[in-house]
Amino acid sequence: MNKAIVALMLALMCIFPAVVTAEAVKLGFINSITGPEAPIGENLTNGVILAIEDLKEKGINVDLIKEDDTGKPEKSMAALEKLATRDKVVGIVGPYTSATSNADAKMAERYKVPLLIPAASKEEITRQNLQWTFRTSGTTGDYATILLEMASKLGQPKTLAILNENTDFGVSAANSAKAVAEKLGIKLVFEEAYSKGSPDYRSTLAQAKAAKPDLVFMVSYVADAILLMRQSREIGLSPMAFIGAGAGFSVSQFASEKEISHGIFSSTQWTEDVPWGNSKAWYQRYEKKFGKSPTYHAACAYESMMIMGQAASTVGGDREKLRQQLRTGKWNGILGEVSFTDYDGYQNQRKAQMLVEQVQNGKHETVWPSELSAKKPIWPFPGWTK
Amino acid sequence: MRPFMHNMRGTSTLPVLLAVVAVAALFLLPNFVESTYALHIMILIFISIIMGSGWNILGGYTGQYSVGHAAYFGVGGYTTIILMQYRHIAPWYGVWAGILVAVAIALIIGTICFRLRGPYFVLASIAVAEIFRVTALNLKKLTNGAEGILITDIPPFKIGDVVITDFMSKVPFYYIGLVTLIIAIFATWMLQNSKLGYYFQAIREDQDAAHSLGINLTIYKNVALACSVVFTSLAGSLYGLYVGFIDPSTVLALDLSVQIVMTCIIGGIGTIFGPVIGAVVLVPFSEALRSNMIAQAIIDSGLVSENSGFGFFLKEQLSHAHVLIYGILLVVVILYMPDGILGFVRKLTSKRRKEAI
Amino acid sequence: MAVFLQSMLSGILIGGVYALIGIGLTIIFGVMRVINFAHGDVLMIGMYMTYFLFTLLHIDPFVSIVVTIPLMFLFGAFLQKVFINRVLGALPQNQILLTIGMGLVMSNAVMLAFTSDYKILSTKYSSSSFNILGISISSPLLISFAITIIITVALYWFLYRTDTGQAIRATAQDRGAAQLMGINVKRMSIIAFGLGAALAGTAGALISPTYYIFPQVGSVFTLKAFVITVLGGMGSIVGATLGGVLIGIAESVGGVYFGSGWKDVIVFMVFLLVLLFKPSGLLGTSKD
Repeated sequence: MNKAIVALMLALMCIFPAVVTAEAVKLGFINSITGPEAPIGENLTNGVILAIEDLKEKGINVDLIKEDDTGKPEKSMAALEKLATRDKVVGIVGPYTSATSNADAKMAERYKVPLLIPAASKEEITRQNLQWTFRTSGTTGDYATILLEMASKLGQPKTLAILNENTDFGVSAANSAKAVAEKLGIKLVFEEAYSKGSPDYRSTLAQAKAAKPDLVFMVSYVADAILLMRQSREIGLSPMAFIGAGAGFSVSQFASEKEISHGIFSSTQWTEDVPWGNSKAWYQRYEKKFGKSPTYHAACAYESMMIMGQAASTVGGDREKLRQQLRTGKWNGILGEVSFTDYDGYQNQRKAQMLVEQVQNGKHETVWPSELSAKKPIWPFPGWTK
Repeated sequence: MRPFMHNMRGTSTLPVLLAVVAVAALFLLPNFVESTYALHIMILIFISIIMGSGWNILGGYTGQYSVGHAAYFGVGGYTTIILMQYRHIAPWYGVWAGILVAVAIALIIGTICFRLRGPYFVLASIAVAEIFRVTALNLKKLTNGAEGILITDIPPFKIGDVVITDFMSKVPFYYIGLVTLIIAIFATWMLQNSKLGYYFQAIREDQDAAHSLGINLTIYKNVALACSVVFTSLAGSLYGLYVGFIDPSTVLALDLSVQIVMTCIIGGIGTIFGPVIGAVVLVPFSEALRSNMIAQAIIDSGLVSENSGFGFFLKEQLSHAHVLIYGILLVVVILYMPDGILGFVRKLTSKRRKEAI
Repeated sequence: MAVFLQSMLSGILIGGVYALIGIGLTIIFGVMRVINFAHGDVLMIGMYMTYFLFTLLHIDPFVSIVVTIPLMFLFGAFLQKVFINRVLGALPQNQILLTIGMGLVMSNAVMLAFTSDYKILSTKYSSSSFNILGISISSPLLISFAITIIITVALYWFLYRTDTGQAIRATAQDRGAAQLMGINVKRMSIIAFGLGAALAGTAGALISPTYYIFPQVGSVFTLKAFVITVLGGMGSIVGATLGGVLIGIAESVGGVYFGSGWKDVIVFMVFLLVLLFKPSGLLGTSKD
């Protein structure tokens, strides 16, 4: 039995998949399909599925090769390696997390294959003079900037507490927030990087409460975001405003916890309220197809795949031409106008228009900037419901 | 109960000849293989063999089942890369520094933990590795914390007149890995047939008896640990340099410790070629599962249509199931091949021999 | 001071749940001498069970343990009978790898079945609390702490006052001798693993209203369970209870004074120190 499995496996290793239809564009997609990052990774997968449908409608057939990186850098690099050298794709969309993207960006440079990163936001990724890496996502700096600028305009916060998960994304976002706060003259009074997955954050939150901050900035994924807010309520931590950097604070699961989510701000790159492209229709289509509402990750992945597919359809498998296309092209879709430019030390980076949404009565409402918003922000934090 | 505990003295000529041919073939391989992806898999296999061989000295020969070897893997990797990235010390020196640091730490830990036996030692080794992981996460100034360290450039490597500058390609890592792995296997072979090796095996068989024969347990367990850590640390440095990125959740994780042990057990522990077989089976297998090559191959072979329900299931669902399959494999191997593949094969052949008589 | 008292109290309460996880592991280890690396994954199964009982049948998590306990007992007994019993005499590293493999199968099978989405079990009281002298106490945690105490007492009674319980304890003390005395050792092992799984499942149920559920949640608790078990002395139920509460406090208070990033280091340091200086655990009888 086992010998048979081994023999079968070895035989399969020798078979090289070859069948490709002539006119299809061969693209790769790396994502965290399994592993701890999988819950958000699923949004990216779904976004890409919609993009492939829409590309087909435009007459662009994509032969998409999906790779799972399980959220680990070395697996992700293996995936990129396979896509670039064995499958010989013309361009790659992905991966999801900051850590994997950072590692893959280097590899893309080595193999000279265009890599379009949809949702990772660590600043350094596009600050290393890399020619082949492009990024649709905004950066952690963007996340922090829009939130703190909004807070400064709405109230006069003087102090800030930062609670971030001790991961690549969490640390980068916290560092960006510190830099922005310093620029705006907001004093940092408490800072803690917690290890995610702990059932009890009460002692940390009690400490934060004792520091009496005006603003509490949190960087957390889905489940921790809910836990942190539940326990904040228990402890009675009630600052001028709670602000969260994307991720866990911008998913509908968080909003649906009405008792603890009312009045919480979070920064995001896309909401269904924006007037870009056919965002509203896209939102409804996604909801219908997958039975849940999309996050900005899904929108970013969708748009990235749309851009990659359209750009690649004209280059006939030439990676250098595709790179030129990405550098010079302009696209208009559900993220508004997208182009990749060099600025502020970034290369091939989209200047993302960030948004702030606030949970109001169990629903995310876009509240900032005012020209793109649907509702007015509730300021300051209304306090915990009893 | 322990069929593999006998020594393999007096190696016959045939295996030696086979080994020489295999090594020669491996040295020539990069000249014929153009696929860098294939070389990538080879390098991962090499690294896996090196760390497996390292663990095998302590776990296989001396019977001290450490499930915390990621600690030494990580310390080796971090030392080399921190020295290179922040102090501009070439990795050819950094690797030795990594070994020194890892061995020094190992000896301190060993002196403390070797008093424990059986499951208590296993748990202590896990605790030590976890302490290292969390410490690396928190010592941001030294290790850059959770963000990890990304290598920007590896300086050129000189051996005599040969200067290797191109570390972007796989070939240098392929040869460095191959040479290191040969050294690791050779060292295991030397050790197995040395007095020291007999001491180790005596400790494995019966600690108290070994002790009463005058073998100083703490000293020899520590010696075994040190030998083991040399290769584990080397593998860590090599991994870090090759991947070009190092962070606590990959090089200091419990997953990695488990993977090291698994490589040895699947192959057969306490044997020279156990780690080799374990790595040659596990690495390509998990890669094939991860990239869903098996499903793709079944569809491409025309057995199952991509548009059929089963084909769709294979393509879309199997890629989610690779860890599940890996887990099932693990359970099956432990239940039906408790002595690893080598042990299984040996049992089969000895059965046949008996039947022939 | 308020911060100290607050963290002390929440540490004790969360420690109650840890204790339950630790007791489960300590019984399994005591009887089988097998380190169960799948313990956290068994707990995860209990969490999913609670979640579905709540969302589909609207049974309150604290009430649903009446269903969870027997189901998890059967599940544990099944695992023991089919898998663990086969490796009882095998090398310890084989036992470890087997349980790791079982854990991987459980967590990934659950992932395939229910996706890797985080499930949040929101009850009316999930974030409710009351104040005493400026210290807030989480109501669900307090309830689960009370349930933990009841279960521990019941378990104690079972192990010391019933024949089966005494047979299990005899098996734990000396497997060979127990067998000679006519105790069905294999059956006792099955009961012991069933008990261990039931306790882990109960812990999962109790923590569900205040925590979240996802397929990989087990690994967080497996390591903690080891620490608690060793701390209290392998096989000692009272020890594991105490160990659980101690670890809860160490995490909570340690987090305040050393930073929450370091709290795991503190926990493992304590663990190592106990292993070295009192390897039988805080309450264990001295035995190798």
